Amino acid sequence: MEFFRKTLDPVFALAAIAILDIFLFLLLGAWTVGGGETMMTGLMAQAVLGDDLQRIPFWSIVFPPHADYWKIYISLGMFFGAFVGAVLSKEFYWRLPRRASEWLMITIGGLLMGIGIRMAYICNVSTFFGLIPEMNMGGYLAISGILAGAWVGSLIYKKILEG
Amino acid sequence: MTPVVECLVAFLFGSVVGLLMQRSRFCNTAALRDAIMFKTYRNTKAMLMAMMILTVGFTGFMSLGAGNPMRFDVGLNTFAGLFLFGIGMVLAGACTVSTWVKTGEGNLGALWALLFTFVGMFLFSLIWSWNWWPPAPQTMTGEPNLRALQLGFANADTLQEKLGVPAIVFGLVQFAVLAAIYRAILRRERAQHAKHEQHQKEAAGQEA
Repeated sequence: MEFFRKTLDPVFALAAIAILDIFLFLLLGAWTVGGGETMMTGLMAQAVLGDDLQRIPFWSIVFPPHADYWKIYISLGMFFGAFVGAVLSKEFYWRLPRRASEWLMITIGGLLMGIGIRMAYICNVSTFFGLIPEMNMGGYLAISGILAGAWVGSLIYKKILEG
Repeated sequence: MTPVVECLVAFLFGSVVGLLMQRSRFCNTAALRDAIMFKTYRNTKAMLMAMMILTVGFTGFMSLGAGNPMRFDVGLNTFAGLFLFGIGMVLAGACTVSTWVKTGEGNLGALWALLFTFVGMFLFSLIWSWNWWPPAPQTMTGEPNLRALQLGFANADTLQEKLGVPAIVFGLVQFAVLAAIYRAILRRERAQHAKHEQHQKEAAGQEA
């Protein structure tokens, strides 16, 4: 099938996703990832800590863990869709970062993303594909933050690449 | 809609998104990083296209009182959180979407980034439980709360209510701004292309 042989134009792909996101906005709410990931964090922490998790106020007040939270399934769906796409286009193979510096950057990057999402109550997807199109004041604060952060991140990245 | 149906709809949406992302190699991190570092805009244009369509779609339906916009107070935490996120996504080479998509392609580095995103979230839950900032959703009022560094809540709906102008009007203004940025990128790409061709012609001339 042609679809699995050629790379799709990202402008077309994102236009299609935007139209689907309008339907999701009407049914449930705009596309988001951070909320589902937080709920997954809570569910994993509950599996490890059991009832002790309730002693951490965040998980009893802000995000009481429950598995039937729809946002979780957007993320699981993205993983599934990408897996199917990669297998059918013969692009699935195990990839591992080679250098220790890459592992370190990924570890620090992942931690900063997790901390940032929870501090802001939103992620990058909600910023660009939810809050900005809803013209939420938070969208403009978030986009200023992420642009400044990406700029600082790029400076650090360049330094590491050159060093 | 029951929670099970909600989860099924979300899974279906996510699956199509994951497939389209995988086939198009779209990456939100690259949309920002490549524009800043390499002055290339393949992903930036796609992101702007989605934002233009969504702006008209969301504000259009909001004018009619339809849709489910997000409702929570924003403030310094919104800026600071996304600032940290922006640094993180460039260092990790992936954002919230591409960690899932790349993991689906067998990228173990992306899975590692995802695991540490969960760890970061858990760490912040401990920090929050110690200082209770930013305010919990239950205590949000929609009004500015400067002691908690919160500006309150405002979106196209509140503009419509306060000014009596349909939300779509504001949406069309935002659409025009995004379209202007898109056109500026196209102009820049054409200029880069013309420059590249001229260099090639000069190089060919020198070789001859």
